[in-house]
Amino acid sequence: MNLFKAKKILTSSITHIILIAVAVTCIFPVFWMLSSSLKTQEEIFTKMALFPETWQWGNYVEAFVKAEFGIYFLNSVFYTVVGVSCIVFITSLAAYGFARLEFWGKNFFFYLLISTLLIPIPGIFVPLYLLLKKLTLLDTRTGLLLCYISGGLAFGLFVLRSFFEELPKEIEEAALIDGCSRFGIYWRIALPLAKPAIATLVILNCLTIWNEFLMALVVLQDKAKMPIQRGLMVFQGTFITDYPLLMAGLTIATIPILIVYLLMQKHIVKGIAAGALKG
Amino acid sequence: MFLQVLFVALALTVAGCSQKQEQKTDDKNIVKIWHWMTDRQSAFDKLADQYFNETGVKVIFETYAPTDVYKNKITAAASGQLLPDIFNPLSDKRELASYIKAGFIADLTDEMNSGWKDIFFEKSLEQNRFTEGNEWDVKPGYYGVPLDVSSLMIYYNKDLFTQAGLDPNNPPKTWAEFIEAGKKLRAANIQPFVSGFGEAWLIGAFAASYQWELFGKEGILDTIDGKVAYNDPRWVRIFGLLNEMKENKMFASGMVTMVNKDAERTFATGRAGMTFNGSWGVNVYKSMNPNLNYGVMAPPQLPDAKYPLLIFGGDGSAMFVNAMSPNKDKAIAFLKWLTQRPQQSFLSAETLNIPSNKESAQDLPDVLKTFSESIANTFENLPKLESWQVVNYININLQSVMIGEKTPKQAADEVQAEKIRQEKAKK
Amino acid sequence: MITPKEKTINMMFIMPALLLFLVFNFYPLLRTFQLSFFQWNGIDKEMVFVGFAQYKDILFNNPAFWKSMLNAGYITLLALTLQNGLALLLALLVNRQIKGDNIYRVIFFLPPVLSGIVVGLIWKFVYDGNFGILNHWLISLGFDNFKDFAWLSEIKTALSSVAVVHMWKGFGYGFIILLAGLQTIPNELYEAAEVDGADTWQQFKHITFPSMIPVFTIVTILTILGTMQIFDLIYSMTRGGPAGYTHVPITKIYEYMSNGEFGYSTAMAIIFGVVLLVVSFGQLYVSKKFNR
Repeated sequence: MNLFKAKKILTSSITHIILIAVAVTCIFPVFWMLSSSLKTQEEIFTKMALFPETWQWGNYVEAFVKAEFGIYFLNSVFYTVVGVSCIVFITSLAAYGFARLEFWGKNFFFYLLISTLLIPIPGIFVPLYLLLKKLTLLDTRTGLLLCYISGGLAFGLFVLRSFFEELPKEIEEAALIDGCSRFGIYWRIALPLAKPAIATLVILNCLTIWNEFLMALVVLQDKAKMPIQRGLMVFQGTFITDYPLLMAGLTIATIPILIVYLLMQKHIVKGIAAGALKG
Repeated sequence: MFLQVLFVALALTVAGCSQKQEQKTDDKNIVKIWHWMTDRQSAFDKLADQYFNETGVKVIFETYAPTDVYKNKITAAASGQLLPDIFNPLSDKRELASYIKAGFIADLTDEMNSGWKDIFFEKSLEQNRFTEGNEWDVKPGYYGVPLDVSSLMIYYNKDLFTQAGLDPNNPPKTWAEFIEAGKKLRAANIQPFVSGFGEAWLIGAFAASYQWELFGKEGILDTIDGKVAYNDPRWVRIFGLLNEMKENKMFASGMVTMVNKDAERTFATGRAGMTFNGSWGVNVYKSMNPNLNYGVMAPPQLPDAKYPLLIFGGDGSAMFVNAMSPNKDKAIAFLKWLTQRPQQSFLSAETLNIPSNKESAQDLPDVLKTFSESIANTFENLPKLESWQVVNYININLQSVMIGEKTPKQAADEVQAEKIRQEKAKK
Repeated sequence: MITPKEKTINMMFIMPALLLFLVFNFYPLLRTFQLSFFQWNGIDKEMVFVGFAQYKDILFNNPAFWKSMLNAGYITLLALTLQNGLALLLALLVNRQIKGDNIYRVIFFLPPVLSGIVVGLIWKFVYDGNFGILNHWLISLGFDNFKDFAWLSEIKTALSSVAVVHMWKGFGYGFIILLAGLQTIPNELYEAAEVDGADTWQQFKHITFPSMIPVFTIVTILTILGTMQIFDLIYSMTRGGPAGYTHVPITKIYEYMSNGEFGYSTAMAIIFGVVLLVVSFGQLYVSKKFNR
């Protein structure tokens, strides 16, 4: 009995040692970012202390004002929320189709759709730009969103199809007999069952869209439509990088993503295991 | 639950996406400028306000960084023929020629010749000027308006020099003295030399000074034409210079992959005795360490060289007028105003850059004066360029010599082999 | 059993995705594909048709490009084994509902969330020859020959050093996808196994592993694609140096494009895409066989 207990303690301590070791490497950069954001520029370069000499809380105010986050923040929220919702809706619908339904050229279309994951086209922004110009969508939110949404298709489709394929078919078949439409099954049964996968997809796509700036800067002209990354550029001059303000700005810009992650990761945990199968 | 919340957002799309582009109030009186110098935004904005008050013409400066992104934006806008009234294509001369030939950049020769060009440092105009018989068949003339000038020199830390027993007011002039200084610094436990040689162009610029010194203009053109080989003893010697620096442990740790911003930090924090950097460094060092006590010197000379040693430099950033712009005249008028002494002096005081206007240069602090005097010794305008692949090979092989992967002779042979390959590919 | 009419109706499920794809992915792709047969710098009015000449040059006359492919392959192999191994280990540990699993879940996803700027700065600081943390530790452990050893500038260590950063930044992705996968395995299976007296290893072998094969496939393919297409990190840490030793295909493609070789760089991208296609389908094929 004692031996069993000792073994259990040992396993648990090894587990925690591994987890803590990895965790420390993940936390340190965040700590460094926070600490740097509260220093002065000179301090960052000439001293290597872990903590700031005096805590420059003003950096945050200055960063927020200088980067004009006020304008950009809402734009980014808008692009991310709408972009991610569309990606999730469109790809889950298609992924469900590919996983469950029969139609013409199914495999052909699937591989065609995920082929964009494979070819990294340099300068893809040029034909996209010309396309948006033709569609008179340059410098519009719609144009940028369409680029974002189409950019997330292949990845989402690829991830979700596998998840749908793995879901047990029995419930869906029962619902079909009960007279549910195919769309109804997708919407009311398959989608909730795939929650962990969808939450994952939401997190990853939020990250992509929130951090994107190349497409935004190429497509948009009007400052009032620019995303938050545009604000961060102010601190990275061609010659001088204002590190304290940059770090403060980065901290501000990272928080929303962390919140999204915190909200979403709960669904990864409580997904199917919590008993969705029974219901 | 969260799915429902998520999809409510879809409704927003309909509401949010259909916003039309705002109609500009008065397009005729607006001049739009794109630039990558984000750190000058506030200075530019102040000037724009002043100009609006004086003339009623609204100038909008839009700056985008990093430069890669800016470059993408310019390329896309060019392909869609939606370039702003004034811009800089951020390109080498070859590409600049393409922009001009495709009709994107206005010829400013007439304006320049009617007195405008006289206010500038001569060299600052050279980079954006095409001469008779240039490789790209561009109509000879002036195309760019320089905003400021810059050049690359060697900064040295006076305090560290003193510490190593070197005279801080008498920096090395010849290559031998340079190596000697390096040895003394190393002996005093100071890293002798740092520079962002991880950035190909910077190591190339360093070597090019010696190319000018050993080959002269004709020699360089002959090399581009293939009449002189890259494994010529003089080129082997250039590679040998880096080898000599390596043998004497002059390079700071990690220099071969270092970007210039990191090199600047190393020098600013007193962790290297010398650095090869541009005139913009003055402002950078001031922001990183205001107490840094340094001087500036030209790259050390090879006493037996036949030609003068020239340095990399010329215009720092220039403005080009969009030939297709309906506001072309207003754009030119604004640039004329911007390059006058008061505006130039204001810009250089705000951003610590050397103005392209000669007269404003008199208002400069001492260190910058040294730089502005060096502008006369910058590389000459060449009517043709070496293919970028060969240039790339030179830079990579310079790095190889730096880390002792190749001997100078091996490196020179490799470059020559690439040159032959490129000549063949051209045919 | 399924009527043609039903087949057509079913197609509506993929229609939105397909339409968007055709307009915003496929059309630009075709346009750039066309470019690969031309010599063009992106600005010139005229494009020079060169047929397959650029393909030929890349295939037979551009060893640097193929070397960059090997570099990416090396990082990918490391990522597939070490990075995904770590991700799986952590996902399994956290999945066991140990104390503080919620906190770990958040912490392990910090590296992917962090800005590349911060990551680049931090790791350069770790690897720095003079004052880097790594050398500081090594020297205090008695390895004096690491004084001034610049990890990112030595031919022997540059690529592996970058690979470590890439794996550190990337394991969080694998971690959450694997975790999502683990959560879809019904608890009942484990409960039943426990009743039958199966130990942890047996549970892993007979329940976890087989149920996870599709998720492994996803993670593997995403790792291959994500790592082969590595770019930002290399660009910010070494720019392909020292002397070209850390170039990867995308940095090469980028190099050609920024030197005004639009056509050539597109041809490179297409050849690279074909290589990825072969690798990915090979992997899909293998895992399908495994699954049966």
